[in-house]
Amino acid sequence: MSAVRFSGVSKNYGPVVALAGLDLDVAEGEFLSLLGPSGSGKSTTLGLLAGLIDADGGKIEIAGRDVTALPPEKRDLAMVFQNYALYPHLTVAENIAFPLEARKPKPDAAEIAKKVEAVAQSLGIGPLLARYPREISGGQQQRVALGRAMVRDPKVFLLDEPLSNLDARLRIRMRRDLKALHAQLGSTIVYVTHDQSEAMTLSSRIAIFNHGKLQQVAPPAEIYDRPANAFVANFVGDREMNFLDGKLTTQGGAPGFVFAGGVVPLIASAAAVAGNGALRLGIRAEAIEPTRDGGALRGSVILAELAGPDLFLTVRLGDGAEIVARADPRAFTAREGEAVSLALDPARIHLFDAETGIARHHGAA
Amino acid sequence: MSASFVHAMRRKAVRLTVNAVIAVFALLPILWGFLSSLKPTDKIVEFPPRFLPEHPTLEHYTRIFADNAAYFIANSVAVSAAAVLLTLALGALAGYAIARFRFAGRDTLMVSTVAIMSIPIASLLVPTFTLLSWAGLADTRLGLVLLYAAYQLPVVVWMLYGYFLSLPVEIENAARVDGCSPTRTLFKVVLPLSKPALVAAGLFVLVFAWNDFVVAVTMTSSETARTFPVAIYFYLGFYGREWGPLLAASIVSIVPIVAIFVLLQRHFVSGLTGGGVKG
Repeated sequence: MSAVRFSGVSKNYGPVVALAGLDLDVAEGEFLSLLGPSGSGKSTTLGLLAGLIDADGGKIEIAGRDVTALPPEKRDLAMVFQNYALYPHLTVAENIAFPLEARKPKPDAAEIAKKVEAVAQSLGIGPLLARYPREISGGQQQRVALGRAMVRDPKVFLLDEPLSNLDARLRIRMRRDLKALHAQLGSTIVYVTHDQSEAMTLSSRIAIFNHGKLQQVAPPAEIYDRPANAFVANFVGDREMNFLDGKLTTQGGAPGFVFAGGVVPLIASAAAVAGNGALRLGIRAEAIEPTRDGGALRGSVILAELAGPDLFLTVRLGDGAEIVARADPRAFTAREGEAVSLALDPARIHLFDAETGIARHHGAA
Repeated sequence: MSASFVHAMRRKAVRLTVNAVIAVFALLPILWGFLSSLKPTDKIVEFPPRFLPEHPTLEHYTRIFADNAAYFIANSVAVSAAAVLLTLALGALAGYAIARFRFAGRDTLMVSTVAIMSIPIASLLVPTFTLLSWAGLADTRLGLVLLYAAYQLPVVVWMLYGYFLSLPVEIENAARVDGCSPTRTLFKVVLPLSKPALVAAGLFVLVFAWNDFVVAVTMTSSETARTFPVAIYFYLGFYGREWGPLLAASIVSIVPIVAIFVLLQRHFVSGLTGGGVKG
């Protein structure tokens, strides 16, 4: 049985389609991230699941029970909000105890105190129990919000960009803690984020949204290596994917991809699958090797960015297209203005339909 | 001494003078009233007037309490307190509904609430008197309570509505997901966070109800339902003005309201929601 199931769920705001016919299953114990840019429908999806937004159509089930028409308080969920939404007039202990106090029948005071204490200990906020939210740091507030969710032992945890207000270091630490927490609790988590690296590192599966439509649901590695379409390919990864518009060709009997800036060799399977229309070639920076010469494409470096172990070169090709390639700075360096040659690894080239963006061929991982 | 220092001092002096003038202007009549209330009757109207009483006396205060002032004060307290509680209870429910729920006629309701505020009370006196008589509530304290609540409800709804809107809705969403019904959310989360607005709105109603003379004198005739402002007016009776008791009663009527303002002052300080949400 799925922990959560959306069947044909839709939501419009006037003429704006916030979510179009969503079908999505979340398995028991899964950490599912809803990933997408703002306005993509990911937060709407979470709001619909929480009952804070009413669906226009479709059915939402939690643990096999139809909750579409139920108010939030009857759905047995716990939610962590982006801005934490702690109760400012209550102490940390009272904040964590709040969901238990609201429960019917209300557990007795000793039991509540025991649970609050246990949760606070596990999150390392035991000494803060008597403080008010305004008296503790952002990272601590975050933990209190998590504690308030954990104390109820809910069917599903909903996390709405919980890390986005933390500074970069703290965010990475909390990421690790969240992952450990998930492993320890084994509960189902639905996690909304616009940060692809957060989704990649935390999730069992990622659901990617754009323009109110689910684009792809798959484990992180598959999303990265076998993106369903050009949007997904471009959205995941620390750098945008490189795209070139052109079509298939053959050069001296070997298959290739021709575009305004030149011809790129392809592997046979790519040429076989892709058909004959206009195509978009996609390739990640790490699959492009800059060399002095010997690559298929030539251009000049317009930007060289050294990012620790990687050197990212933005190269302008003859036709004006720009491509980012990754080099190992210990093996190869180039400065702005220098001419370089680019070798695109044919095995790692993706091909997309130029019109629909749908993937036609996936390169190797 | 630098020029800017001299400038700053001069500005301070000007500000102080202006404030002092305003304070004297506002407080002098009260001070005069207080001092005069301590003078024997024949000295109150003597000419030329004397500011300080030569032989201070409490005779006027004794007199008003002999005239049953305590009962009228109790009436005023009861009527004002009930009006405040009733108005806040209804105003909080209405304001919250308008602020947070979508329902048919919501905008109309809000606009008419504002429009009603602009109707002068004087124009309502006759129709409401008829209405109260018909309901059997003329000349009762309950009638006054209902009228005060009715007059003040629009402005209280408006004040609380505005405050509720300013609260971060995520906190209420959190309460809902944590298992609270909308009503429980209102009482456990929204109202505790709205203390400054409740205090402000409550004082608004209190001042109106405590000071009201026009409505009370129109709607009541017996001593049973008489409130303190009406009782004070009786010292301007048929047989001449009784300045002594009049002033003593006026001073007594000021004391509770000033005391309440001072006591509740700290609740005006907002920022109660600090630390609840981030970003």
